Formats: sequence, C-alpha cells, structure tokens
Amino acid sequence: MENISKTFAGDVQANKNITLRIEEGEVHGLLGENGAGKSTLMNILYGLISKDSGRIIIRGQEVEFHGPHDAISVGVGMVHQHFKLIPPLTVTENVVLGMEPIINGVDKRKGRLWKIVKQILPISYRSASKRIAAIAEENGMAIDPNAKIRDLSVGLQQRVEIIKTLYREADILILDEPTSVLTPQEVDELFVTLQKFKDAGKTIILITHKLREPIILCDKISVLRDGELVGTVNRADTSPSELAKMMVGREVVFSVEKEPAQPGNVVLQINNLHVRDSRGLDVVNGVSLNVRSGEIYGIAGVEGNGQTELVEAITGLRRATSGEITVNGTDITGMNPRQVRDVGVSHIPEDRHARGLILSFSIAENVVLGKHQNPPFATGPKNMMLDLDRFNKEAKNLVHTYSIKVSDVQVPVSTLSGGNQQKVVVARELSINPDLVIAAQPTRGLDVGATEFIHNTLIAMRDKGIAILLVSAELDEIRNLADRIGVIFDGKLVAEKDPYETSQEELGLLMAGHGSEDLEEARNV
Amino acid sequence: MTENVEVTNIDIEKDDDTITRILRKLNDRKLRKQAMWTFGSIVLSLFVSALIMVISGYDPGAAFYYLAVGAITQPDRILFYATPLILTGLSVALAFKCGLFNIGAEGQLYMGAIGATIIGYMFSLPILIHPILALLVGSLIGVIWGLIPGLLKAYRGAHEVVTTMMLSYTAILFTQWLVTYPLKEQGEYAWISQTPRIFDTAILPNLYGPYVHWGLFIAIAAVVAVDFLINRTVLGYELRAVGQNEAAAEYGGINPKRNMALALGISGGLAGLAGGEEILGTYYRFTDQWSPGLGWDGITVAVLGNNNPWGVLAGAIFFGALRAGGNTMHQVAHVPIEMVGLIQGLIVLFVAAPKIIDWLADNGQSFAIRMKSEPFPAIPEFLLAAISLIGGFLGFGYMFVQMAFDPILGIALLLAGITSFLSFAFVYPRNENGTLMALLASGIWIAAGIFGTVVAGIQVGILGLALGIPMVLFAIVLLRVHRPPFLMRRGDA
Ligand SMILES: Nc1ncnc2c1ncn2[C@@H]1O[C@H](COP(=O)(O)OP(=O)(O)OP(=O)(O)O)[C@@H](O)[C@H]1O
Ligand SMILES: [Mg+2]
Repeated sequence: MENISKTFAGDVQANKNITLRIEEGEVHGLLGENGAGKSTLMNILYGLISKDSGRIIIRGQEVEFHGPHDAISVGVGMVHQHFKLIPPLTVTENVVLGMEPIINGVDKRKGRLWKIVKQILPISYRSASKRIAAIAEENGMAIDPNAKIRDLSVGLQQRVEIIKTLYREADILILDEPTSVLTPQEVDELFVTLQKFKDAGKTIILITHKLREPIILCDKISVLRDGELVGTVNRADTSPSELAKMMVGREVVFSVEKEPAQPGNVVLQINNLHVRDSRGLDVVNGVSLNVRSGEIYGIAGVEGNGQTELVEAITGLRRATSGEITVNGTDITGMNPRQVRDVGVSHIPEDRHARGLILSFSIAENVVLGKHQNPPFATGPKNMMLDLDRFNKEAKNLVHTYSIKVSDVQVPVSTLSGGNQQKVVVARELSINPDLVIAAQPTRGLDVGATEFIHNTLIAMRDKGIAILLVSAELDEIRNLADRIGVIFDGKLVAEKDPYETSQEELGLLMAGHGSEDLEEARNV
Repeated sequence: MTENVEVTNIDIEKDDDTITRILRKLNDRKLRKQAMWTFGSIVLSLFVSALIMVISGYDPGAAFYYLAVGAITQPDRILFYATPLILTGLSVALAFKCGLFNIGAEGQLYMGAIGATIIGYMFSLPILIHPILALLVGSLIGVIWGLIPGLLKAYRGAHEVVTTMMLSYTAILFTQWLVTYPLKEQGEYAWISQTPRIFDTAILPNLYGPYVHWGLFIAIAAVVAVDFLINRTVLGYELRAVGQNEAAAEYGGINPKRNMALALGISGGLAGLAGGEEILGTYYRFTDQWSPGLGWDGITVAVLGNNNPWGVLAGAIFFGALRAGGNTMHQVAHVPIEMVGLIQGLIVLFVAAPKIIDWLADNGQSFAIRMKSEPFPAIPEFLLAAISLIGGFLGFGYMFVQMAFDPILGIALLLAGITSFLSFAFVYPRNENGTLMALLASGIWIAAGIFGTVVAGIQVGILGLALGIPMVLFAIVLLRVHRPPFLMRRGDA
C-alpha cells in the first residue's frame, strides 16, 4: 500500500499518506490508539471503503478494488472488528452467502462448460457444509456447520468469520481486533490457528490493542497515530513499553497504582440467586455475594459461565427464577431496568452494539440514554419535553473528559471507531453519580491509554465510596483492579480470593473448574 | 489523558443556535443522498411510464404536458387531494419510527370516519364545538383501532402487519354493515348504502376556493405536532429508540412494549383524524366504500417522505399534484387515469428498493446481501439479468406472432430471445462472459427492432430499442468491471 489517504465527511482525516509494505508469508501487526485509522486502512485494502488517493500493489500488480468482491478474487480476506454475520442463519448459510453456487462433484470438474453449469446450479448446502467441516478440521477450529449463528459464542462466531475467508481461498488475511472479544483460552487457540496459517505460507495482518500479542506472533509491527504511520519495527527490536510509547506518544504505566480499599457498608447483596438463560437452561445456580461501598469486586471466569445472565438479573433485564438482590437495603429483585437505574445502579454492558448504543442515534442522543426522562434532560410539564441543548452540552463535556475522538456530537455514533464507541458507553455510565457500577468488560476494544484512564477513573470512584462490580474476561484487569475476586464457574461462585495472595495460575485453575483440593494437590506435587 | 485534549476540537462553551442546526441538517450527507435518490426515482418512474404509454399507444409527451398543466393551474385541487394523504402518511410514518409497519391505516380511517359521521348527524351541537367533538371522537376510535394490534403485538407477539391488515378489513366490513342497516338513510336515496347528511354545524368550512377546507389546516398542524413529538419529546425519543434497537432501549430503562402499543395507538388516531376530516370537510356523509384507498396511499406517501413528517407533507403534495394533473391528463389527452396510480406505484417501488434489499439481505437472500455490500457492480448486474430474462420471454413470444407474417423478422426475434436467455444465464451467476453475451443480445434486439419497424410497424421497433438500449448501457458499465479474458490487457489483475 502506498500513500493511502482517506478523508471522511466532516473533515475527518482518517488516513494521511500511509505507506505500508507487507511481505508475503509474514504476520504483520498494526497498532494504534482508538481512532488512529487502523480499521479504515484495512477496509480500504479490503475494498470496502474507497481511497481518496494512493496505490495498492499486491504481488507486483497494481490493483483497483470496486468492492470486497474484487479483493476476494485476488485472495484478500477480512474478519471485521464488528462481525458481519446474520444471526438467524446457520454457519453454512453464512459462509456461502454471496458465493457461486456449487454442487457435489461438479466443483472438481474442469472445463469451460462445467464452469458455467457450476455457476447456474443452485447451492448444495450439504457439500458446502462438508467443505466447511473439512476446513475447520484442517485448521483445528471445531465448529458445527449447522448451528445457528445466534446460538454461538463470540469466539465461535469469530471462527465462522475466519472460515468464511478460508472458504473463499484467501491467502492474505486481515484480522481487525480479533482478540478483544475472546477469552484467554480462545486467544491461545486462535494463535495456534494463526501459526498454522503462517506455516502454510499465508500472509496475516493483525490489528490489536494488546501489546503482548504482537510480540508473540508478529514478525513486523507498524504503528499508526492520528492517521499517520509512526513507523514499522521488527519484533526483535522492540518491547511492549516501547510500542506503547510509539502509539500514545508518552510512557504508559501498565500496572495500576492504588491504595488499599476502605470498604464501607454493603451496597449490593445477592442471596442464592438462580437465573435461566433464553433457552430456559439454569445458568446461574445459587450465587451469593456482596459488594461494599468503596471496593471493587471482580468476577473472574471464562465467558459463558453465567456472568451475562447474572449481570442481566441484577440490572433488571432478566428475571431471576429465585433468590434475592438488594441495593442499599432496597429489594430490587423483579424491578424493571428503569427502577434499577433509579436506585443508583449504572451498567456498562458487555456488548456495546447489542445493548450499549443505538448506532443510528447521534452521540448526543446516546450519552443521555437512560437518563433522558429526568431533568435536566427532560423539561416542560411533567418532564415530557427534551432539552436538546442539554444533550449537546452533556455530550461535549463527556467527549472532552474522556477524549472521545469525534468531529461533532451530532454525528451518528456508528461513524466512530470501535474504541471510541466504547468510550461513549463508559462515559455515559460513569457520569451519572451512581452508588453501584456494574462494569462488564469495560475496556473491551480500548487502547492502552484509554484503558489506563478508565482504570484510574474506576479506582477514583471506588475511593469516593462507590461500590463496583467488575466482570471481565481479562485476568490482568481483574487482578489489577479488584479488591476481592470471586471466581465463577458453571453458574456458581466457586471461590472468593484476595488478589494479593492469589497467583495467576491458581485463578486460572479455579476458572477452569478445578476445586481447591486440586489446588492443594497441585501445590504439593 | 489530559495530554491529548487537543484531539477534541470541540468548543464546550459554544452552543448551536437553531439556524446552524437546520443548516447542519440540510448539509447532512445521508439526507442529501436520500433526496437525490427520491428525485432519481421520480425521474426514472416517469421514464418507465412513458415507455409503457408508448407501447400501449399513447403519446407520453401530451400526457405529461397535460399532467403538468393540470397540476400547475389547479393548486387548490392539489391541496384538496393532499389533505387526507398528509394525515394517513403521518400515521404510517409515526408507526414506522417505532419499527412498526401499520398496514391498516385504511381501516382506522374508516372507523374514524364513521365516528365523526355519527357525531355529525346524530347530535345537534353549537357551531365550533360540533366539528371539534366529531373529530375528537373520530380520532379516538382510530386510536382504539390502532391500540388493539399494538397491544397484541406488545403482549402477545402477534405480528402487526397481520393484525392491522385483518382489523382493516374488519373495519371496512363493519362500517359497510352499519351504513347498510342500522345507520342507513331512509327515503329518496335508500338504494345507496349511506348515512344521512351531517348537520351544517359540523361541517369544516372552506378555507379557500370550493375545495380546500379547514382539514388542510388540521393536517399541517399535525405535521408540526408529529415532528415535535418525534424529535422534541421524551416519548418520541423512546419510540425512536425502540424502533432502532429494542435491546438497547430496554437497557436504557425504556419499556418497549408500552411504546409499541402507544405508537400504533397514535398512528391509528392520525388515520382516524384523516377519516373524520374527510367526512366533515368533503363528503358530509359516510357512504359505503367512500375512500379511494387513502389509507393505502398513506403507506406510499410515508415511503416517499422517508418517514419524516415534513417529507410526508412534501410527498402528499406531490401525490396530490399527480391526482390533480391526472384528471386533466385523462380528460384532455385521454390517457387512462390508472396511469397516475402506475406512476405512483413505480415511484414507491424505486424509492423503497434499497429498503427492500436491506430486508431481503437481513433475511439471508444472497443476491440482496451482495447488492448491499457492493451495490456496484451488483445492481447493474441484477438489472441486466432481469432485462435479459424479460427479453428472452418477449423474444419467444413475439416470434410466434410475427413468424406467420414475416419469417425473417420471426427468425430475428427468435435469435434475440435465445441470446437474451443466454445472457441471463451468464450474467446472473456472474460469469465474466455475460456482458459480452448481453451486448450480442442487445445488438440483435436493436437490429430486429429497426428491421421490424420497416416491415411490421413501430411497436416492434420500440420494443427492440426499449430492451436493447438499456442492455447496451448496463453491459458497457459492467465491461469496466468484468473485463472478459481476451479483452484484458497485460498487467491487469
Ligand atoms: N463512516 C465514517 N464517517 C465519518 N468518520 C468516520 C467513519 N468511519 C470512521 N471514521 C473516523 O475515522 C477515524 C478512524 O477510524 P477507524 O475506525 O479507522 O479507527 P481505528 O484505528 O480502527 O480505532 P479503534 O481502535 O477504536 O477501532 C475516527 O476518527 C472515526 O471517527
Ligand atoms: Mg477499529
């Protein structure tokens, strides 16, 4: 890619004259702050966005893409930051969408006439799912081709996206923040898969915010800042802290400094809570815990062990089958989300696109979601009218405090980069002076600088006497922030630990379902 | 993070005044794109209807001339026709803002109309109060007729398209029964199913000329009110939130069920108001089947206006102009009045095409997904395939007609048909030779058309050109994308 530039409407210069050289067969890391232009650059390479100027040269040939269609035909595949799958359809249907029809046997025949026949014939889903299963097995990515996307975890959905590119015979693979949605185990599995691709001679471009990953996997690393290329370095010549400095332009502290907690009264009390998921299965099986004011309670666990439903039950989005939840002594079991908000609970949801944001709404309209019906945002008789000036003022305030990169608070939130969208959600929820914060994956997709800022904010809120329940798939985050850690496995809290006295390995074993006897054993051996 | 504050170049102190806000709205790229698309759709549908007129033997020049003259010289008629469409358009648009498709505006309109009629002729009330009360009752019955499917949707999950449609027919049949039996006017006109005339006190007086009555004022006030409701009130914010992302709305403390029911209720009220206003201002009594599909047209008006209240106003006036001009066109140029309906239908089809594609794409139709993810070249490809398919059928069809009169023309048409089918077979699955086949087919069509004009008359020529020319155009456009192998220069990927 040479001298690529792109300016969006509203004078957002997302890419400024970027020249990137990627060798065949290498793993190339792409780093940069939120809104640096990484996704934009890769979308240009994938033909999804048109460039304003510059050239793309692949294997010595200059190419001009009119759409992903063209990019796919020269072997470029992309897995997007926000997946582009259709939930009600099966894996197979999603993979073959927009593809030439195929039928058993025909795709092996050669010759012009067969080629035509091949293309006219309808799709044979059976042979397609066979091929998908074969691809999956070859690359160590177990998946059921007939499962519906909406029943799959995020990690599995990502596999489907990767299989989709392989099905289209991509040999240049772009992955936009593949790891930010994965559990540590899934990240390891992904890396094994990517190593296989590398051995098979495929070229991989990896966008990430986690600095350790490129060090493990990448051969070369390029860093973008404010739409410009800061530089490209070899893996051997760099370190995480140096990369962070290149990205942010200053030193970044990785471990958070905090005073010991001064816990006060119990704010959140959960007694023997049972919750079912949408399919009617028991996924929270008798959880009891309490969170005091002025402390951060971390819930560690592999995703899919009931965290989602637990959080939904607390925030009123899901009905508990039995058990009791109180906040500051008020029983909130069975309250609706608005009532729960009104007793002083704020909630950073785990999936910003599913619940956190209304993508077509402006930033100003999004930052008031949940408090829009109360003064000062609602005015007039019975608070029926909206005060749009207040919306804007609030939005500008938060944009300023949280360094959200936007051109204007009136633009739809969908035009923000992934990390900046996350900042909108976090800013909104932390700004309402809550008594209790339920933070599920609060720093998902944020760059190192923003993560540091959010961590510091959470700790400052704790020190002001706010109770915080932190649910995170990232052990580092939990260990750095939490004052107490509860390990959740299969819908139960299997242990409660002091972060200062617990090792990473111990937590890892507990999260994987090994009881404390196993731990004793492990220690004794 | 204070170090990179300079990233955010927003002045916190400065507040935008209304003018900058309006300017920004006008500058919005999406709005401009939508406006361009709508305008393009109008032009395209006029073009297509011109083609259809030519093929069916009318003079499109004269037709459009009198259409325009009829509209320009009768602004009062335009407003007269537009008045109920504004209200039914608002009704559909408002429900749509909450993500609901109110198909049943026609039934709500009938219910509102019968309510207003009953107050109008059964009760004797003072002058100002009478119409106001009649309109209130009409709207209220409309609200009820909208609220029922709303509640069914919210608490029973019954799809609103089915329930509003069923209730719509129920309403039409129920009012028919009412005016045929219990409410029927006795006496001279007893053979017509209609109610007695409303009292003069209930009539909405004329505003201007013989047609335009106070209903227009009510309709425009409703535009302002609905705009205010959607954009400036808590309720409007919540309705839109539910329409855009139900899960996020619920998370934000908004009750999706309550809002859905309310949206359909208000929507029904607007349609009911349209019914009442038409009775009190125009018809003065309820006659069975009196509405020429005002509720249905509300759907098309909402689509044309992109569900925006002011867009609905513009759309209704445009359709009003088509009606007013259509009458003149019918009387002077003798083009059937159905042509107006055809133009309307085509416009809506073209305007709604992207939404239809969205819908199909979300439901897993692969061609729609491709059209959405890469509109170019997928759309020209799809159109070329469609024209080829049509050409294939027409070629064979005309071949049988012409073979007996002129075998040479027959063979030419046969060839055109075969190549068109082949072109479809190549283009639809995106074979790179498809464009060449399309070029061949279009060449044969044009040749057959020219030859046909000489030996068989102008219709064959028009048919040939109507198929051949768009085919050539699309094929040339596509040649830039799918360069067939032997046309490819060295160095191309
Ligand atoms: N469709 C769009 N319209 C206007 N601006 C846009 C659009 N898409 C992206 N931008 C802007 O371009 C800039 C770069 O965005 P991009 O998505 O490339 O960032 P990124 O590096 O991927 O960040 P992140 O790490 O947060 O995902 C941002 O300021 C964003 O607001
Ligand atoms: Mg991104």
